[in-house]
Amino acid sequence: MLTCKEQVARSSDYLDGQLSFRERLMVRHHLMFCPNCRRFIRQMRLMQATLKVMPAPPVADLDALAERLANEHLKNKP
Amino acid sequence: MAAADDTLLLKRLLAGEQRAFKELVSTYQSAMRAVAYAIVGNRHVDEVVQDAWLSVVRNLGGFEGRSSLKTWLLTITANSAKSRYKQNRREVLLDDLPSPHGTVDDDRFSSTDGHWLVAPYAWHQDTPEALLTENELRECLEHTLLSLSELQSSVLLLRERQGLELEEICNLLEISLSNVRVLLHRARLKVFATVEHFEETGEC
Repeated sequence: MLTCKEQVARSSDYLDGQLSFRERLMVRHHLMFCPNCRRFIRQMRLMQATLKVMPAPPVADLDALAERLANEHLKNKP
Repeated sequence: MAAADDTLLLKRLLAGEQRAFKELVSTYQSAMRAVAYAIVGNRHVDEVVQDAWLSVVRNLGGFEGRSSLKTWLLTITANSAKSRYKQNRREVLLDDLPSPHGTVDDDRFSSTDGHWLVAPYAWHQDTPEALLTENELRECLEHTLLSLSELQSSVLLLRERQGLELEEICNLLEISLSNVRVLLHRARLKVFATVEHFEETGEC
């Protein structure tokens, strides 16, 4: 049986589907019996989802850049 | 963005529609910046992204849709970054810089049986939207992201915000899968520690 520490060490690979079949079963088995690690994994997923929806900083000078690119494109058009 | 949307956007771009260029930039620039940041670091991001955009515009007619538009744009960005800085391409740094709220490290576990010594604190919120209503947490997260090494933060953002597969990240940044896994895991534990700290103390 994995320890909590070993479970945490494998958590990213578990979330990314990078574990072998056997290791995945070992993690699942540990999670079944360990509420602390279940909470850890649940909150790791929540952290991932939070980064996903956290807005990226807006593009500086978006209009100017778009205009420049459109002009560059028209200039290059055969 | 789905393939059908790519095709439509491409048509409008080829027609020279300025609004389409605006959409293109606002949709993809942050992913392109993350790729450039990983390869050349903060100092040269702007020029690399600018190079990449010009190259994109010049080659727009040649885009054949064999990959998604996003993959194509990111490949061009990676190439711009690499060609400009071929001479001083950096080693893959797995350096772990200190983060404002630490990480989930060995101290959290018993050295005898590997159990949690300090169990994960139960967060008050259970959706990303609820977490992000706290402006202070948002700022706190930005702060933690900035504390990561350039490579670590890029890998994290390309994976979580941009949804890239690990293999795509390996190919773009020319680093091994095992390095991507290490970078990602360390970055996640630091961000986890930041959210946990905020939820526990209510401050950054």
